Amino acid sequence: MLLLLVLPAILTTGCKKILDQPVLGQYESGNFFTNDANATLAINAAYAPLAFTDGASNAIWVLGDLASDDAIKGSSDGDQSDFLSVQNFTINPTNSAVEAVWKLYYDGVFKCNVVTDGLGGTAAGVSAGVKADVLGQAEFLRAYYYFNLTGAYGKIPLHLKVETPQELQSAALPQAQIYAQIEKDLTAAAAVLPMTRTGADVGRATKGAALALLAKTYLYEQKWALAASTAQAVEGLGIYSLLPIYSDNFRAATKNNVEAVFNIQHTSALVPYQGYSLNAWFSPRPLNGYGFYLPTQSLVSNFETASDGVTPDPRLDYTVGRAGHPYYDSAFDPAWSVTGYVSKKHSQPLSEVPISTKGDGNLNYQAIRFSDVLLIEAEALNEGGNSAGALVPLNRVRKRARESYLYDASLPGVGTIPPGLLPDITVTDQTLLRATIRRERRSELALEFHRFFDIIRYGSAYATSALSSKPNFNYATNQFFPIPESERQTNFKLGE
Amino acid sequence: MKKRYSYFISYLKITGRKLSLFAILLILATAQQLPVSAKTPFNQQAKPDIPVNGKITDAAGIPLIGASIGLKGGITLGISDVNGQFAIKVPDNATLIISYIGYQTQEIAVAGRALINIVLKSKEGNLNEIVVVGYTTQRKKDLTGAVSVVNSRDINGLPIGGVDQILQGKAAGVTVTQNTGAPGDGINIRIRGVGTINNNDPLYIVDGVPTTDGINQISPSDIESINILKDASSAAIYGARASNGVVIVTTRKGSSGKTKISVSAYTGVQSAQHLINMADNAQYVNAYNIAASNDGRPKISSTLAATLSNTNWLKAVLKPAQVTNASLSIGGGNENSQYIVAANFFSQNGLIKNSSFNRFNIRTSLNSTLSSYFKIGTNLNLSYAKTRAVGTSGDGFSGAAASVVRYALFRTPGTPVYNAKGQFVDLPTQDPLLGNFLGDGINPAAEADAANNNTYRYSVLGDAYIEIDPIKGLKIKSDLGGNLILANNKTFFKTYGIDRFFNSPNSLSQTQSTELNYNWTNTATYDLTLGKHVINLLAGTELIKQNLQAQSESRTGYVNQNPSFQYLDNGTSASQQNGGNENHFALSSVFASAHYQYAGKYLASASYRRDGSSQLDPSARYQGFASGALGWRIDQEEFMKNVTPISTLKLRASVGQLGNEQSIGNYPYVSLLSGGFYYPFGGGSTQGYSITSKGNPNVRWESSTQQDAGLDIGFFQNALLLSADYYLKKTSRMLLFLPLPSSAGNGGNPAVNAGNVTNSGLELELSYRKKLNDDWTIGITANLATVSNKVTALAAGTPIAGGRIDNNYNGTLTAVGHPIGSFYLLQQEGIFQNTQQVFTHAYQGPGIRPGDVMYKDVNGDGVIDDKDRTFVGNPIPTLTYGLTANVSYKNFDLNLFFQGVNGNKIYNQINTDIEGFYRPFNITERIATQSWSGPGSSNKFPLLSWTDGNNNKLPSTRFLENGSYLKLKNVQLGYKLGNSALKTLGISNVRVYISAQNLFTITKYTGLDPEQYNNSNNGNTVTAVGIDWGTYPSARTLSVGINANF
Repeated sequence: MLLLLVLPAILTTGCKKILDQPVLGQYESGNFFTNDANATLAINAAYAPLAFTDGASNAIWVLGDLASDDAIKGSSDGDQSDFLSVQNFTINPTNSAVEAVWKLYYDGVFKCNVVTDGLGGTAAGVSAGVKADVLGQAEFLRAYYYFNLTGAYGKIPLHLKVETPQELQSAALPQAQIYAQIEKDLTAAAAVLPMTRTGADVGRATKGAALALLAKTYLYEQKWALAASTAQAVEGLGIYSLLPIYSDNFRAATKNNVEAVFNIQHTSALVPYQGYSLNAWFSPRPLNGYGFYLPTQSLVSNFETASDGVTPDPRLDYTVGRAGHPYYDSAFDPAWSVTGYVSKKHSQPLSEVPISTKGDGNLNYQAIRFSDVLLIEAEALNEGGNSAGALVPLNRVRKRARESYLYDASLPGVGTIPPGLLPDITVTDQTLLRATIRRERRSELALEFHRFFDIIRYGSAYATSALSSKPNFNYATNQFFPIPESERQTNFKLGE
Repeated sequence: MKKRYSYFISYLKITGRKLSLFAILLILATAQQLPVSAKTPFNQQAKPDIPVNGKITDAAGIPLIGASIGLKGGITLGISDVNGQFAIKVPDNATLIISYIGYQTQEIAVAGRALINIVLKSKEGNLNEIVVVGYTTQRKKDLTGAVSVVNSRDINGLPIGGVDQILQGKAAGVTVTQNTGAPGDGINIRIRGVGTINNNDPLYIVDGVPTTDGINQISPSDIESINILKDASSAAIYGARASNGVVIVTTRKGSSGKTKISVSAYTGVQSAQHLINMADNAQYVNAYNIAASNDGRPKISSTLAATLSNTNWLKAVLKPAQVTNASLSIGGGNENSQYIVAANFFSQNGLIKNSSFNRFNIRTSLNSTLSSYFKIGTNLNLSYAKTRAVGTSGDGFSGAAASVVRYALFRTPGTPVYNAKGQFVDLPTQDPLLGNFLGDGINPAAEADAANNNTYRYSVLGDAYIEIDPIKGLKIKSDLGGNLILANNKTFFKTYGIDRFFNSPNSLSQTQSTELNYNWTNTATYDLTLGKHVINLLAGTELIKQNLQAQSESRTGYVNQNPSFQYLDNGTSASQQNGGNENHFALSSVFASAHYQYAGKYLASASYRRDGSSQLDPSARYQGFASGALGWRIDQEEFMKNVTPISTLKLRASVGQLGNEQSIGNYPYVSLLSGGFYYPFGGGSTQGYSITSKGNPNVRWESSTQQDAGLDIGFFQNALLLSADYYLKKTSRMLLFLPLPSSAGNGGNPAVNAGNVTNSGLELELSYRKKLNDDWTIGITANLATVSNKVTALAAGTPIAGGRIDNNYNGTLTAVGHPIGSFYLLQQEGIFQNTQQVFTHAYQGPGIRPGDVMYKDVNGDGVIDDKDRTFVGNPIPTLTYGLTANVSYKNFDLNLFFQGVNGNKIYNQINTDIEGFYRPFNITERIATQSWSGPGSSNKFPLLSWTDGNNNKLPSTRFLENGSYLKLKNVQLGYKLGNSALKTLGISNVRVYISAQNLFTITKYTGLDPEQYNNSNNGNTVTAVGIDWGTYPSARTLSVGINANF
């Protein structure tokens, strides 16, 4: 009985220890950045928001192409009606695509900030080499996320560290300030990132990726000379070239090739799932796809033809599926699409990804291809007054396109380039060449989610004309998507 | 010569050593060493006297203190002591009269016995009922707090699956709502309203074991009583976990005497009720063609219409199903030891295929008095439960399966369930002209058929205690309790479909969790009576620990989908995934309370508890909670003696603090990094770590201050009893996960103390019981409660949006000045009747035409947009009530149980789909036939048009409905079989009955069931209550049953 009475007394005094329950299976933030392995773990997480493992979460394709003149939503009428609203410019701040891109890309920013915060101090225990590389990757990724965010939303909040709830109450800054930060991050990243990645590091940011995105940033800022020189710097690295066959950019077997400057990686059959869901989203419903994302006639008409007026730019049939042409290893069925076309760059043959695992595709997303860099260079040179110089990179792109006829055995009449197909451009009138470069860019980068941002960048006149089929589009009010409701309801310093 | 009889009570001999020992525990600074005796001499005629000892208890074995012992026709010999014990000397042939206020007086013949234990039966009115309160017991008449009591007799024969359902409609201020009608689905219990945006679940104490969900591990048939501690003075002794009220469950114990065997069983058939009238094929085709002509779409030709089927999808998925229950208990014992062994089996099939709930329980309870001061006992409940679930509610957004009922409502009648080959039809008819516009959604019968989601729970709940009574009035008890729960889920996602492929690739997913909760509770109680002063003291310590482990595994690629191959080994090994984690939590507490009464009239009590928790920052782990209460039994005053109709009159008042430490996670004070982010560098899966939870070292428990004033009044010897309570509960420092701007990323929202909520209400409980004559007895118990809920402060005034009703669209807003989770919507003003109206009304967007829904321009800016949303009601009933009526006539008895709520709103989300007309879903009969068809035709239902659906289905009051209902929850007719025939069989009594559950519902709500709480896609969040995504309806059950005692 004595024991019974005394024990509780001991217990009460000893309970302090009982209350010390350690954190299990997780790191407390104060003791994470203590070694190279953990630093790498933190940067790995910052790549995850890039992926298209869910087509609804990474809805950049909705903003980039459905809002443009290149593609319409497809699928059945009420399915993802918010995507239709983007297409028709009846966009509410609660629009799911507008919300999704905002949340996902800012999550990317956050995960980068975890790294820059963690390695910003002494971070003893992390070696100098790893620290520089990981910080460089974080800076590149943060720039990539912000580049997409400001392109889509214009004025936005800028978070550069893991902020407190008070600090997160922050105003939307003008686009120039966002671009200035992107330039800063990319310049720093380009200085430390390696030229190439091999083995288990393939997919990580490189010096070329940082420079290419920097060139693109300068292009968007209309800093023509810097855009041209930075694009040339990418070229000057000497490691990038155009693939002989254009469509090899969009094949699983030829991923991470010499044309890929920055690729968003996907791999089938991984556990947990890290495949390309757009393979399901964009495939016809009878092939167990969801039937979204149908190319328009306007896009198809953009592709040039040979002198016969019939034989198309080979990139057309690499880009869209249409009647009379096989859709990989399936016969094309006109009932698949109300426009008559389905997209091909994000889908794979059934022989590669069977119907049963449709959403687990094996394609990378081509965030930055070398041909994009060449077209940046061409545009920047032309806009900067060097139209003759612009012809060089422009014609490199056209040459590769037409020469698919020399290398691609699947094309009819392989070995001979159809007469008059994609001839070298010789015009040096700045205005005429501008139109030519824009048309080339639309064909070369078709359905790669860049079109709407290009249209807006080209200015009101071009955009109004390109989107003339969309009566609700107004350049002044629709050049940027609205900052989503979830931000408006919680950030009171946002301003209007 | 007259002999002197002596008796004594409670003479305390306290040695110095003993005193110092319990001084440690009791802080009895002024330990009472006074002998508590009042010797009363009396005389008796000369006879050889024998000493007789014994104990007087009530039916529950609780000692009765101060019961009077006298000789028949003679004098009072004395009263029982604080342990209910007495010692007298009487002639061996004497007859004793034992009497006690509120109890039936009993005559006992001594018949030469030296030991006589007496059990007194309570009179009607139950004021002497023992109520289990914080770590001890009290008589109802001595209570100063607000405590509701539900007894086993109130629940007898109700065909219900869980203990939590028992409470529905039985106690004022206790609102019980099932999530959905699915077997084994969750139940929500809210005591005195919703106090916080966080966890509002009460704390359960099952036979002394604190548990958050142990209540469902026991069988309703094992319940002796459930006491609900509602006010602060009753609950504050439970400190940091008591803010949402405390539910104390006491299970049946054995009693001394002959072995009692009880058997009860019932079986019933459940069927669907209150179905929504959906359009049949002719109505749908007609409506389709009207819409087609409005929209310029091709129509369904009569030739095509003739090929379509006419399926009633609700009837195709909701089929009658059986419910069965059987229980057996054997109990008995002698004066020193009592035991009970009970077993129960409950099986409920669901109305929807592949949904069911089965539970098997075995319980034992053992109490033994080893010597006059040493007692041990144990309770042990073993339970096995299996829940097989289909999608019950929601659209599948959060990962739970989407509601089968929702798809049954979506599916057009023209689509058959099966094709000619007997396969489930997948895609609706495709027509060259109409394309895939003849229907949409998933075949709900196929979805239910493919569902194979099984949750198995194995649990052990119980305790063992030793109790020592070293001196009179002092009890020291050490109780080791625990609850071990092994919960496994096994779900096979079968690939199905003939045109499309669902769940492709197929997969098997399994999870296991092991949860061990244990508590070590040590208490000392000291009861003493000093003349007219009665003092009860309690002091104790409690340690609570929780260890939680979880694992998960999955594989895909099953070649054979047969259930006999649904094992991990049969999946592709390359696809295997697994996970696991562990969490610990500890709470360490000291507490004390004191109850005092003077002359049975003036009552006072106070309590204090200090809790320390591992969940708070090490610098500030402790928090104290105090309470106090006063009571005045006016009926005991002299001036009331002649007020004969009033038999009880008591005033009560209390105030105190309570805490809420649930749902802030185990480590809210520190930011945490965890893994789970993957990216395929170089084609291989690579993990990443990032911040997943943001810490706040300043986070503390939320606490509430509660005031309560109560009145108990009884008339006609307490045949009529009325209790009324008014309370005011102010929650402060409400914990919330601060909503951060979405540009903050997914690092989790930190917990902060930011916000105040006030609940207030009036609660009435009434009971009337009367035996009219030898044949007729009637009884009525009724309860009614009001609640008024209001948020009075929020962090930085930031309203909290909740209740997703569409992607990125939240239907509720929690804001200062409004109840938690108030609906925040546009208001439907009517239907545009003509073009002039469209032009003159605020701009609603392009393409608005006559027949479209007109919304109110609340802010008057000439544009209908988000800024026109306003608060339009909330899902919290302002009034809840229940009524039970019993009538018995000779051997027949009839019970009726009504339950209802009033004043709440339900957002009928499913109607945005089946009346919103934006996608080719089936529609309700009323919208198919009563839609706007020209000026003046309807001001409620818009014209039929898919293209106008985007305007017409905007979240608005169009879909907000009155959620009030009154249900006849149960009606039961019983018959007791005559005794003579049974006695020869050794059966003491048998009752047979027929029962109907949910016989009718009176409601204006047009959905399937107004009784619902959260939908699965919204999680269990209080800001998403009352949004109906098409839920599994509750069944009407007809059953027959038998109770027999041997």
